[in-house]
Amino acid sequence: MPDISQTQQNHLFRAMPADVRERVFPQLELVRMPLGHVLYESGSMLRHVYFPTDCIISLLYVMENGASAEIAIVGNEGMVGIALFMGGETTPNRAVVQSAGLAFRLEDSYLKAEFARSGFFQNILLRYTQALLTQMSQTAVCNRHHSIEQQLSRWLLLSLDRLTSNKLNMTQELIANMLGVRREGVTDAAGKLQAQGLIRYSRGRITVLDRPGLEAACCECYVVVKREFDRLLPDTSWNKNRLN
Amino acid sequence: MSDQKSPQHNALLGALRGEERTHLFAQLEAVPLTLGQILCEAGEPFTHAYFPVEGIVSILYVMENAASAEIAVVGNEGMIGVALFMGGQSTLSRSIVQNAGYAYRMSGQHIQQAFNRGGRFQTLLLHFVHALITQMVQTAACNRHHSVDQQLCRWLLMSLDRLPSNQLRMTQKLIGNMLGIESKGVTAAAFVLEKAGLITFDNGHITVVDRAGLEARSCECYNVVKKECDRLIQSAASDGGPGPN
Repeated sequence: MPDISQTQQNHLFRAMPADVRERVFPQLELVRMPLGHVLYESGSMLRHVYFPTDCIISLLYVMENGASAEIAIVGNEGMVGIALFMGGETTPNRAVVQSAGLAFRLEDSYLKAEFARSGFFQNILLRYTQALLTQMSQTAVCNRHHSIEQQLSRWLLLSLDRLTSNKLNMTQELIANMLGVRREGVTDAAGKLQAQGLIRYSRGRITVLDRPGLEAACCECYVVVKREFDRLLPDTSWNKNRLN
Repeated sequence: MSDQKSPQHNALLGALRGEERTHLFAQLEAVPLTLGQILCEAGEPFTHAYFPVEGIVSILYVMENAASAEIAVVGNEGMIGVALFMGGQSTLSRSIVQNAGYAYRMSGQHIQQAFNRGGRFQTLLLHFVHALITQMVQTAACNRHHSVDQQLCRWLLMSLDRLPSNQLRMTQKLIGNMLGIESKGVTAAAFVLEKAGLITFDNGHITVVDRAGLEARSCECYNVVKKECDRLIQSAASDGGPGPN
């Protein structure tokens, strides 16, 4: 049985009623999630779902020519591996660790058994999936309509919400892969945010200096997604213990 | 609407069997889909779920400045109103009829009850949502990485798959709204495709002349989505999922 207080770091677990905890928690396994670790490759069969406690997983779409674009990020507000209960068993995305940490994982058979009970577990996973879908569609629109600087701000804020400090370890190249833009574009955008005193950038480490300023520099996409998560998952107290 | 096709022509409804089918079909109501009709506005709760039999519904994301971008299209392979069973009742997008036709609709309450009974219907709906997510994701990537004429090819092919003929009635402005680009960008791309002998373009009518050529010209995105959508719906239809226990 895992440490209960540690499971509570994941907001979906925090909302689970006692009977679900009793059945599911003994099957959880705490695993390390090192930076760059690939949880799923596009098209591969999923065996586990992952519930992050303090890491961030990036869901990336990988094109045939190897170019990528991030479609969503998942941290302690959610879980990775919806294909296992939505159906299809595989997913056309790659899931990769963007910020190192820990996650609980659950084997597919236990997941499916609990999901099939059509109770709270199913209900909250579906609501989470709907919120994830909102994040993905907002990303599609943001890719189309907003400047790289705005997109970088959105991405920093989404990441920050899922971390316990205001520092991110990230090279510009990694950010460029996530956003699906050229590295020079990221350098340029980061330079602008730094010149405005919103972030400090040095040697692969970004420190957010002025979070309200970053929110003001961002397009609507960050707030819209956050509000929708709050609306769909009011019982997970997501964001209640965030910075600021 | 006496000559309309039966609900079976919708892939999700058509995959139902036996008692489940009899029960659900009794709750359906045939309704016309008229061009430009808004089935559900962004932020407002869905009153009904719609299962198109003919026609195309576009799921449009609308920004605060009213700029829009299409995130998915749904025809007789799917349904509109996933928030009714996924949760939340409303979404941030607008569902608008892009090509007229008709659909069967079911009240929000009925679809929730049917979903909660489990069985093949639940499996089908979940597989469809997963296919829809695939389409949205591919759209996000396509918006980022591909040229406007590739995107136009993808969009024409996806529309064509959901229509009975090779003709689309569409203004450049409307296509621009769908793709989230300016109409002169659409005009330029349509001109490129016309010059290549793939389509003809005249007074808001696009006729696809060379479908194979259009597929060759399109980015991978069309095929990836089609393959995944077919795979997901067929697997749900054939095994029926965990069964109605």
